[in-house]
Amino acid sequence: MDRRRVNGPAGGTAPPVYASTLTGKTASAANRTRQPNEIRKIFVKTGLTPSASGSAYLELESSPATHHSKSLTNRTPALKLTCTVHGPRPLPRSAPFSPQLLLSTRVKFAPFAARQRRGYIPDASEKDLAAHLETALRGVLIGERWPKSGVDVVVTVLEGEEDCPLEALAEGNQGGRIGGWGLMSILSGCITVASAAVTDAGIDCVDLITGGVAAIVRQPSAPLQLVLDPCPSDHEEIVAACVIGYLQSRDEVTELWAKGNISPSSSGKETKPLCFETLVDLAVEAANGARRVLVEAIKESTEAKLESSAVG
Amino acid sequence: MAIKPSPSDSTSNPVQTLTFPALVFAKLAPTTFLTAHLSSPHGPLRPSGRSPSQVRTPTCHTGSLTHAHGSAVVRCGDTAVVCGVRGEILRAEDIPDYKPQPEEDARRDYEDEQDEQALKITIMAEEEKKLAEIGSGGHNRNSQSPDRGNEDEQGRRKRIRREDSEEMARLGLLVPNLELATGCSPDNLPGGPPSLLAQTLTQRILTLLHTTHLLRMGDLRLWFHPRAPSSTPFKPADEGEDEDLARPSVKAFWALYIDILFISLDGNAFDAAWLSVLAALKDTRLPRAWWDGDRETVLCSDDPSEARVLDLYDMPVALSFGIFEGDGESKGKRWVLVDMDGFEEGQCREGGTVVVGDGGRVVRIEKDGRGMVGVKEVRDLVERAKERRMEWIGVLG
Repeated sequence: MDRRRVNGPAGGTAPPVYASTLTGKTASAANRTRQPNEIRKIFVKTGLTPSASGSAYLELESSPATHHSKSLTNRTPALKLTCTVHGPRPLPRSAPFSPQLLLSTRVKFAPFAARQRRGYIPDASEKDLAAHLETALRGVLIGERWPKSGVDVVVTVLEGEEDCPLEALAEGNQGGRIGGWGLMSILSGCITVASAAVTDAGIDCVDLITGGVAAIVRQPSAPLQLVLDPCPSDHEEIVAACVIGYLQSRDEVTELWAKGNISPSSSGKETKPLCFETLVDLAVEAANGARRVLVEAIKESTEAKLESSAVG
Repeated sequence: MAIKPSPSDSTSNPVQTLTFPALVFAKLAPTTFLTAHLSSPHGPLRPSGRSPSQVRTPTCHTGSLTHAHGSAVVRCGDTAVVCGVRGEILRAEDIPDYKPQPEEDARRDYEDEQDEQALKITIMAEEEKKLAEIGSGGHNRNSQSPDRGNEDEQGRRKRIRREDSEEMARLGLLVPNLELATGCSPDNLPGGPPSLLAQTLTQRILTLLHTTHLLRMGDLRLWFHPRAPSSTPFKPADEGEDEDLARPSVKAFWALYIDILFISLDGNAFDAAWLSVLAALKDTRLPRAWWDGDRETVLCSDDPSEARVLDLYDMPVALSFGIFEGDGESKGKRWVLVDMDGFEEGQCREGGTVVVGDGGRVVRIEKDGRGMVGVKEVRDLVERAKERRMEWIGVLG
């Protein structure tokens, strides 16, 4: 029991159960309205937290409302992330000497980020996401320029995506620790938003890193298909997915995470075989799409900064 | 902003004058910097350009979180807060030593409902009148509702509200939590338990939610009517000659989890957090819920048109302030600064909050530090808070 916070009633409470989910009269999986090679609209804004060295906010547009979305059960969430960067700042005296910038990343879900209320105590999936984010950023920062210093990157997930398709949700499968397709998009968003915040903080990087996701999905009554930037609630089933942290101008990958059932390569003659290599290529394509948005946002905020410094 | 070099400097090096940009000056000598601003010949002005009694105008955006039943994003200057309200079901049988009092509950719900109908009409009229007479001191509520304005009525409504919040506190139905550890300022980094500030703010919001009697218990009770599911909840006692089974009873309650997350913190955390709580509660729509006897559980309807809003009894408004004492020439001079930003908060050794509710009723006053602020200043602050109440009502719509 957490004595430093206000806990709910001792007997425990349960989230509301909707009658429609019990009768099985649920909406079928919403169809993806985007083209397979079309990513969702991204909104990035930097400088939300003036007291931090750098900060950014990222939002992915939610799937357009279908006729089912009137129900309270299947309103489609949009990915909303904020990120703050503190530092580089001197390490405490007690810390051992470090020739490089020490990077520490944290990812935290807000209690209202998911369908199930999440507690304040950090859980394993948050730690896992933070570790992935750290590997992605470590390869980008030029750590040698900041000896004996540390930097904190904190990402807060204000609203996450569904972890699994809506139909599975109706069957009572809440994704939980194993499902977690939504985590892929969240990680990709984390990479992009952290990149924006690090740039806003003016920390030296070798390139602008962005995240991208691609997946092999099964659409209702259609063969397997490759899509960019999948939204789990749009598809009947996700077979495999891949997240990438990609540096475009150096053509480097600092973070790669794929899961699902995929063959490593294909000997077939199709232009886009359903294999790992194609999946990675498509994830790179998604990351490039995100990069275009990020570059615009950073340009805008830099111009604003220059203007204000010229006035001041 | 520039400061003159001290005499010893100028004698050794008469040509060079020492000038700083304002930001550096503020960092080096914050107290002198703030004093210089406040004792400027053009009248006291704070570094932000506000006068001492001027608040930052808040902006509010509601309903942007999908998974919450009610939500709000509030921004006051550089302080930004997200608040999400989420209802969960607390079953009566899960409450340790819960004593059902169906008649009592039904009576209160019924009275409450009756009151509410009449109150809604008068409140609208009152708010309009208040806008006109703001600043003219306290007014007599009875005179504004002559049709039903006897002391009995007043006393009864007060009693219902008090009983409601006592029951809410006993069952623990309101669960506010405030999180600062989001990196919202360099002092608030995640890792470790909630900071002292986060804990005190949470506690203050929890007590304020109860002492202002903000919510109606009737909104949070879930009734089960065995015989006539859709008839009126309260029936005269003479009809209930049957055994207990046939009587309506409270089967469950809504517990409201109110989570407040700071995105950015630049002073005055409490006011921003409280405004976000009010806005989120106002935005909250709980789905229609009923007790399903066959399944022995509570079910909800997913039809948004059936979802109900929470009725807020009041709109209590918080106003935090600080007392700044000048240094140098204006030593001993004091300024009352309302709605301070982070820089000013660091320079004030005394501060506090007043909370003002409906009709200028003071709900809460707190003050810490030395005895620099007297009754007169507090009275002024209450007047400011009344003005701010109008502003907040405008923002909340």
